[in-house]
Amino acid sequence: MKQHLKHLLALLLAASMILGMGVITAGCTADSGKVTIELLEYKREAVSIFQKMAADFNKENPDINLVVSSPNDAVTVLKTRLIKNDAPDIIGIGGDSTYSNLLDADMLEDISSYKGLQSIKSVYKEMDKNLELVPKAGTYALPYAANASGVLYNRAIFKKYGWSIPTTWEELISLCKKMQAAKVTPFYFALKDSWTSLAPWNAIAVDLVEPNIAQEVNLGRTTFTKAYSEVADKEKELTKYGQKDIFAYGYNDACTAFAKGQSAMMLIGSYAVPQIKTVNADIDIDSFVLPASSSATENKLNSGNDLQFSIMKGTKDKATCYRVLDYMLKDENVQKYVDDQNAVSCKTGSFTLPSMLDGMKLYIQQNKMADYQDHHYPSEMSADALIQTYLLGQSKADFLQTFDTNWKRYNRDTIAKLKKYETEHGSVSTSSVS
Amino acid sequence: MNRQKAKKPLGSRERSYFFILLPILILFFLFNTLPLIQGFLYSFTNFRGFGSYDWVGLRNYADLFGDGRVGNSYRFTFLFAVVSTVLVNVVSLILALGLNSKIYAKSALRGIYFVPNVLGGLVVGYIFSFFFTYILPAIGTALGIADLSSSWLARTDRAWFAIVLVAAWQSIAMNTLIYISGLQTVPSDVYEAGAIDGATGWKRFRSITLPLIMPFVTVNLVLSMKNALMVFDQIMSLTQGGPAQSTESISYLIYNNGMGGGQFGYQSANAVVFFIVIVAISVFQMKYLGSKEEQL
Repeated sequence: MKQHLKHLLALLLAASMILGMGVITAGCTADSGKVTIELLEYKREAVSIFQKMAADFNKENPDINLVVSSPNDAVTVLKTRLIKNDAPDIIGIGGDSTYSNLLDADMLEDISSYKGLQSIKSVYKEMDKNLELVPKAGTYALPYAANASGVLYNRAIFKKYGWSIPTTWEELISLCKKMQAAKVTPFYFALKDSWTSLAPWNAIAVDLVEPNIAQEVNLGRTTFTKAYSEVADKEKELTKYGQKDIFAYGYNDACTAFAKGQSAMMLIGSYAVPQIKTVNADIDIDSFVLPASSSATENKLNSGNDLQFSIMKGTKDKATCYRVLDYMLKDENVQKYVDDQNAVSCKTGSFTLPSMLDGMKLYIQQNKMADYQDHHYPSEMSADALIQTYLLGQSKADFLQTFDTNWKRYNRDTIAKLKKYETEHGSVSTSSVS
Repeated sequence: MNRQKAKKPLGSRERSYFFILLPILILFFLFNTLPLIQGFLYSFTNFRGFGSYDWVGLRNYADLFGDGRVGNSYRFTFLFAVVSTVLVNVVSLILALGLNSKIYAKSALRGIYFVPNVLGGLVVGYIFSFFFTYILPAIGTALGIADLSSSWLARTDRAWFAIVLVAAWQSIAMNTLIYISGLQTVPSDVYEAGAIDGATGWKRFRSITLPLIMPFVTVNLVLSMKNALMVFDQIMSLTQGGPAQSTESISYLIYNNGMGGGQFGYQSANAVVFFIVIVAISVFQMKYLGSKEEQL
């Protein structure tokens, strides 16, 4: 009898352990007849505004329970969840290579039937089209907010010395020299974090290189060595005007230093402003388009889809997802988000722009903008680290050579698919945004 | 075990042991063996971690050997592992000898030396990141030492050593503890006998202590080598693989490109190769060092 008891106990122990795990994974099964829609968004700094909007939405729509999750490193979290087949209903991510890959792997719903799309500026919809690795029919993302990137500058310092905004490359360099003569550090670099090397890279490339370069290279029509030579030269030249030891400091360090007025400018996007303001709330920041070309009319603003919504394949309820998007697209909600995040609205209409985009207003109004080049780079290629290596002293020829060979390696499957597409559908037209 | 016993049916005692073991076996299989097999299967695909994928046969393995970035990560990881294993074991053996001798506040000191091991890897990393970026250069500039006046983490030729220092600082604690317990297994009468024969100081250590604690040396070398080969947290918090990918360890590369980038299949192949390498090294260490052990 005693023996049996022992066995029973052991078995119970085993069973409870396994059951326990089952409960943890099964976790949250919803209740009460409400439709639960999960929105996973990747902008950690926008958590509070999203929470507010979700609460507001749930009050207006008692039959829906909108849950917003904004984990740290959301893209990795999303990918890990996709491995487990546990996809959210709506995702709010950027228009970059993550989007391209999700689309290419058939993870997103076609939303071309969604009416809200008509109110979105075509320049941003075009950007999403260009992100398709292989041309695809349909629409898969709703651009919501764009960011603008170029040069942030400290308006107080500029006023104090009477400096004006440069409009050509030559003016920019002579301004930097003037600053150094006045013992002001022109730029504060954050090159310990390799990704920050992409901000000036994009801002220079947008003026000098066609936006569809990635697809042109995939189709074998040109090489990066040809396209990026001047971009590489110009970024290297800019690093001469940084603080001492530009590779020692990371993004947080640089934002802090800029906020304290330790440099007049910073080569980063408008997304850095909230962080800078946490250090110094009173700082007067404006921004301007980095002029990389010698003729002022050729400059373009670097602006891309910073937040766009896509509906994941396998959602329970597409119509309810559309209702969530409808809510997000209400004018007052767009304005709330734009104010909170210092962003640019992708929706047509008269939205007030944040004051730190004063220097870029004209470009935004005239639609003189193009997407970030790095939105087309596969993240595993680590283009940022390649640029960092080059800035640390690698020769330009070696750097561009590596860029081209790595590109071919990491995009092998895409290139093969494109070739196949070309033989089936004729030549791929690579539209470009101007 | 002798043969007669093995043929007997399980006794009730053994059976209850078996039932206690069973859940652990199941858990181990679920969370260790199954992912290993899955990873092995994925290593033959171009799986991105989600969505559709194709089988690509041995392409991933062929690519691994031509990939400069992977080669670089192996070079860094081995350099890091060898240097830090030597450093950790030399320092912790010296510390253990000190903490095992008759000194004041022995137990308190042992406790204090163990603190670094209690702290999390990321926490230690962020603290040292601040130290290397701001404090060390300030000291270097004040003292006029050119080599220290710019951040080590920003230099491709120094960043790896900065990581060695941090990782060693942290893992010395555990190894010291193991060495102390080893030193306590050496009976004092052996030392007395040795002293009569004139074995003191270095000679005593070389011919009596070291051979007798050899099993502990083996364990420590295998453990610290294995830990160093799998270095991850320190890199995550100190350099993120930079500058210029000079401190990208194998496990960091696997995580970064496998999960974040879309190379789940390719990095699975890398993980399989890395697994084989670690097993081979550990087996070699056990075999080679085991042959040097002495029994009293």
